[in-house]
Amino acid sequence: MTVLIEAQGLTKQFGSHVALDHINFSVETGRIVGLIGPNGAGKTSAMRAILGLSSYTGHLRVLDQNPRRDRAKIMRDTCFMADVDVLPSWLRVDQAIDFYAGVHSGFRRDRAQAFLAKSQISTTQRVRELSKGMKTQLHLALTMAIDAKLLVLDEPTLGLDLLARRSFYDALVNDYMDETRTILLTTHQVEEVDNLLTDVMFIAKGKIVLNVPLEELATRFVAVSVTPDALEAARAERPFYEQRAIGKRILYFEQPDLSKLTLLGEFHTPSVSDLFVAKLSGTTA
Amino acid sequence: MKNYQWLIRREIWENKAIWIIPAALAVLLVLTSLFGTLTGDILLGGSSASPGNTLTLSGKILLLSVSSVFVILLPIYSSWYLLDSLYADRKDRSVLFWKSLPITDTEVVLSKLLTALIIIPFVYWVIANLTALLVAFIVAVRAGAAISGAVWRLDLWLQIETLWIYLIITAAIWYLPVAAWLMLVSAWAKRAVLLWTVLPLMAALLVERWFLGGQIFAQLVLNRIFTGFLPAILASRGDSDTFVNNPAPIWSMLDPRGFVSSYSAWVGVLVGVALLYGAIQMRSRRIE
Repeated sequence: MTVLIEAQGLTKQFGSHVALDHINFSVETGRIVGLIGPNGAGKTSAMRAILGLSSYTGHLRVLDQNPRRDRAKIMRDTCFMADVDVLPSWLRVDQAIDFYAGVHSGFRRDRAQAFLAKSQISTTQRVRELSKGMKTQLHLALTMAIDAKLLVLDEPTLGLDLLARRSFYDALVNDYMDETRTILLTTHQVEEVDNLLTDVMFIAKGKIVLNVPLEELATRFVAVSVTPDALEAARAERPFYEQRAIGKRILYFEQPDLSKLTLLGEFHTPSVSDLFVAKLSGTTA
Repeated sequence: MKNYQWLIRREIWENKAIWIIPAALAVLLVLTSLFGTLTGDILLGGSSASPGNTLTLSGKILLLSVSSVFVILLPIYSSWYLLDSLYADRKDRSVLFWKSLPITDTEVVLSKLLTALIIIPFVYWVIANLTALLVAFIVAVRAGAAISGAVWRLDLWLQIETLWIYLIITAAIWYLPVAAWLMLVSAWAKRAVLLWTVLPLMAALLVERWFLGGQIFAQLVLNRIFTGFLPAILASRGDSDTFVNNPAPIWSMLDPRGFVSSYSAWVGVLVGVALLYGAIQMRSRRIE
């Protein structure tokens, strides 16, 4: 596997505010990485640095290029979809296809048209006449047709209804993703993507709080439902988060001693969204 | 080169006013020539001319006045276009779309500059010509055989075309620093582009006047924007009345050698290139 994105000591400051604080991570080919964090955590700053859209300090390589200097080269193999309203409203669908075909050497017009044929979009429509869902479909059609190695999605489904969100992620997995592609995405709706991701990266206050492949999640984290009488014993095992539930508490452990925990109560692997809450709410509630 | 072609096409898609405004003007002029009264200079050839030249001059005046309306409108639109060029897509956030394409910021900035200095003037030239043809035809039909001979003269048309080409090339050189300044503001300002175009200049002029007691910068700016262009490119040094009413062919009044060897034209180019560099840098930094 090749490393597609590599960041070491990546830092971004706006005046005295530190948006990214010396973060290190790498993303390999074939992964679907979810960059998850609360508002203002630094997700967008990280994406913009990766795409060469903003300045930064530290070491950063994307597709073997320096993003700050070679944004245009990175964009030959990268597609960036910020939330839906970035398509220029005056652009006509056929113009968008012509323009992509003109500036992207690997653009496959037939593929874009085939994808659009499945939608309600006609080629003579302007972007301003399309609904939010249709705009996303158009952007996705253009993306599919350039064979991008790296797809960067910043809140791609913001403002879409449930059906449109579902069909967006379906298209992503079925029509786009294969072992040569890589996706980096941010979203607030964690529960919608947690069965899609291969890796999760939690970011808070400009630092990476957790960076783990999903297959390791089960061995690393355990949530135990504990009845009040076993609570003291369970707390002795040092959970990093406690969640109140009816008649019991759910305690979260990182790299626990399973032999001890089995005696305390029922346990399960936490979902990504549970883990997100647990990790980012700080220590014991 | 392929990227430039597509970027320029994009400018024409986006800014339909590039051809709609001159087309509307063309319709207006044609209607005027159809229904207006044909009097004054157009028929008489200018009061100051000697009787022998009357007809020659009336054709020239007619064609020059058609072109001049377009020439006056052109810089007003181009300035507005440039001021909006690197600002509009930041305002509506579509800059994120454009920046997700494999196109460098230099290509974007230069394609917009090229559109303003060459493509838009070329469109105006073509539409001015079509208008002149129509207007000349209408006036010739309405005013009769006498003026028809004065209007349908190949050498007169060639003079007008030469003047257009000469104006487009010299204006592109002379106004490069102005265009680059507008682009720099357009790439930099977060709002109120027009205000930011004028404000720093005003501030510089006032500082110069109050604290340095001079007017050199003020003179330079005024000369560059308003008063300097025609004297820099014409041998007759500016007086528009002698320019129009002079029976000599137009090309005898142009001074390309004087312009090319003038120091102020090329200092302007240097300043323009520096400002353009700034605009490209700003474009690569600002996305909102």
